[in-house]
Amino acid sequence: MTVSGQVKQTVASLKGTKATLESFAAIEQNDQAKQVLHQNIARLEGVIQDMEKRVAILEFEEPQYKGF
Amino acid sequence: MAEWQEVILRSVGLFVITLLLVRIIGKRQASRLTFFDLVTAIAIGGIAAAVSLNLVPNLLHGLLALLVWTVLPALIYLLAIKSKMVRDIVQGKETVLINQGKVLEDKLMEARFTPEDLLSQLRKKSAFKVADVEFAVLEPTGEVSVLLKKDRQPVTPQTAGLTVGPESVPQTVIMDGTIMDESLTVMGLNRNWLHTELEKAGVPLENVFIGQVDSVGQLYLDLFDDTIQVPQPKTKELAWATLKKCQADCELYALGTRQPEAKSMYSKSAMVLAEVVNELEPVLKR
Repeated sequence: MTVSGQVKQTVASLKGTKATLESFAAIEQNDQAKQVLHQNIARLEGVIQDMEKRVAILEFEEPQYKGF
Repeated sequence: MAEWQEVILRSVGLFVITLLLVRIIGKRQASRLTFFDLVTAIAIGGIAAAVSLNLVPNLLHGLLALLVWTVLPALIYLLAIKSKMVRDIVQGKETVLINQGKVLEDKLMEARFTPEDLLSQLRKKSAFKVADVEFAVLEPTGEVSVLLKKDRQPVTPQTAGLTVGPESVPQTVIMDGTIMDESLTVMGLNRNWLHTELEKAGVPLENVFIGQVDSVGQLYLDLFDDTIQVPQPKTKELAWATLKKCQADCELYALGTRQPEAKSMYSKSAMVLAEVVNELEPVLKR
């Protein structure tokens, strides 16, 4: 697997986990737990954005592996 | 009227009267009777029995005695709520039996407790060694409450130095194959969601004996058919494991890349993810 492929996979995992956490946060009744979840979802969002930028650069460097 | 008919009539009448009078005294747990409660209960029972068996020649006298024995305790209970002094007299005070790990023999004597009594009461509280007990007190109800020494107390997450996430009450959404709409609404869920979850588990609704939803919406099922093994939901653990994996991946990429820019981005991401993993551990794992 190419580097860009690996990074893409990680980004996908992160996105999936973020969605799971979001569904937890939606159902969770306890305010404290809800707050912890939301806080960390925001952090994950930041990481995902950074990684996506990196994916874009990698795709530019290796155009033959562009797309999924 | 024959004598036996009179006995039946009196008994039935007294049964009803006693039932009503006892209600006046109020609700007190029978398992937590103090000596005073016991005395009144026996007195009321004795009077009722004597009157119904015609042992008391005058019916009115018997009823009067019954009334006094119910109204007085009721009044005293009311007074006891208001005043500490009355409370101490009526309900008695607690007696300290063991203090700072030492048995107080004079207090034992006061409470008419033999060493065997003390040991058996301690054993009931799973304190088999007197040396493990820091403090024991005889409650007015005759029960012994025990505080174990700090190092003999059961481990709690706090003493083990663990942080745990808050957990709300699970809601029972299926009972005996029927959906409980009310508890679903409390969780902000609906029947549609439940049917989807049941389909995921591959279980028909009729086969579910009990279904509970935990605070993050995971469904735990118990089936009528005990030969079927229902997989326990693992979404929380999975999410946490995936996060850890992503964190490790980022560290790997940081090591692998030669571009300083990408290296710093990856290590920053790895650090952020490590924090996320740490903070979510109590919520997702414990």
